[in-house]
Amino acid sequence: MDYTFQYGQVWPYLPYLLSGAWLSLQIAFLAFCGGLLIGTACAAMRSFGKGPLLIVVNAYVIFFVNTPQLVQIYFLYFALPDMGIYLSSYMAVLIGMTLNAGAYLTEIQRAGFESRRRSEMEAAEVLGFSRLQQVRYVILPHVAKVLFPPLSNHYILMTLGTSMAAIFGVEELTGRALNVNSQTFRSLEVFSVVALIYIAVTLVASVLLALLGRYGFRAKMRVV
Amino acid sequence: MAHLELDDVSAAYGTFQVLKGIDLSVARGETVGLVGPSGSGKSTILRVLTGLLPPSSGEVRVAGDVVDYSRASEIRRLRDRCAIVFQQYNLFQNLTVLENVTIAPTKIRGRKRAEVQPEAEALLARVGLSDKLGAYPDELSGGQQQRVAIARALCLKPEILLLDEVTAALDPELVSEVLDTIRGLAAEGMTMLIVSHEMGFIREISARVAFMAEGRVVELGSPADIFDNPQKERTRDFVGKILRH
Ligand SMILES: Nc1ncnc2c1ncn2[C@@H]1O[C@H](COP(=O)(O)OP(=O)(O)OP(=O)(O)O)[C@@H](O)[C@H]1O
Ligand SMILES: [Mg+2]
Repeated sequence: MDYTFQYGQVWPYLPYLLSGAWLSLQIAFLAFCGGLLIGTACAAMRSFGKGPLLIVVNAYVIFFVNTPQLVQIYFLYFALPDMGIYLSSYMAVLIGMTLNAGAYLTEIQRAGFESRRRSEMEAAEVLGFSRLQQVRYVILPHVAKVLFPPLSNHYILMTLGTSMAAIFGVEELTGRALNVNSQTFRSLEVFSVVALIYIAVTLVASVLLALLGRYGFRAKMRVV
Repeated sequence: MAHLELDDVSAAYGTFQVLKGIDLSVARGETVGLVGPSGSGKSTILRVLTGLLPPSSGEVRVAGDVVDYSRASEIRRLRDRCAIVFQQYNLFQNLTVLENVTIAPTKIRGRKRAEVQPEAEALLARVGLSDKLGAYPDELSGGQQQRVAIARALCLKPEILLLDEVTAALDPELVSEVLDTIRGLAAEGMTMLIVSHEMGFIREISARVAFMAEGRVVELGSPADIFDNPQKERTRDFVGKILRH
């Protein structure tokens, strides 16, 4: 291979790329938090609810889990204007990712809700715990412990998934990489640097989440 | 007066009648063994005595006080007086050994941590677990977990201890450490009702043994009566099967 790497042309853009990465992190974080709220509410409804609301929740989850995220965002960005609803590309991506996360997190959390253990609750009951105390001291810590690993996995996936925003012109890390590429034409250098930034970001997030899971929630997680 | 008394107690799961008129009493400081085939209702008796299943008829008395199962406050009082240890220790997996023992007295009963902790440590020392205070249940052997469960029950200072197959889930080499703990309690005069398949142990520790079948107490007597000289056909059958294998 007689290609000569010329990272020199890419370095000046590093701060520009890093602030793009910061935007990626923000999108992932906001969409995850929104998705967690939606997912918790929907999982509770799926576990305990009934009637028309349950049908709506099920339809929502089935739709968002079984269609590509890209198509979902396309729908928000290109189809909604036909109905008179205009979203900026940033909002379309954020809402699309939030709704998508909500559906996946519903599925993940339902499993956690259903893993609460009868026997421990019975033990708590004979020790004199009220229902609320059982939730506080037995159910929640257990659910948190069970759910933490799959939730943090999903968070990492979402961080990488934010690159989809580039398609809609959002200047997050991948979007800015495309910009730098069209100015320097050093594709290999630009995208290898960008790949390294993604790796660094997800590694740091994984380690932090694993530490939090392990020592905060006693979840079975490997730190690196 | 008997410390614990069941007077013609019946109980059902839905429409399925499990206990059909149980009469049984345990004197203060006495250990009574409860034996019988699987499904005969032994665990169900203990569930009634801890308020997990209210009886459909009959009376339960603790030190002469009739328990009114329709009142939550009386169920709480019953649970204060009768503690149970289950076959599957049922420890809180997210809490350490020490926290498992102290959580109910401190968080539920509202006693001071500073006061409960030395008691909990003494109890855990007694069951031989002084070096495991900070361990989590999944880091312990089954026998150790079962001893934590016993300490947890004792930390609420119950008058009566109910034990349901506390050694059934344990490897044989771990059984003796749990049995030693129970022997110690009997020697100290704890009132106990013990369900177990360890016939040798039941025979050794019980003042009286009740043999149950199909929701009834078929025969009640001294261990020698029940194991060596059973009067009823059903008891002979059961004892015969057990002694043969
Ligand atoms: N939660 C429940 N719902 C319905 N039926 C139950 C329930 N728990 C127990 N039973 C039934 O009640 C009967 C008595 O059960 P119990 O657990 O008291 O038996 P046991 O004498 O303790 O048996 P084992 O020696 O197997 O523990 C059994 O026929 C059992 O199937
Ligand atoms: Mg049983």
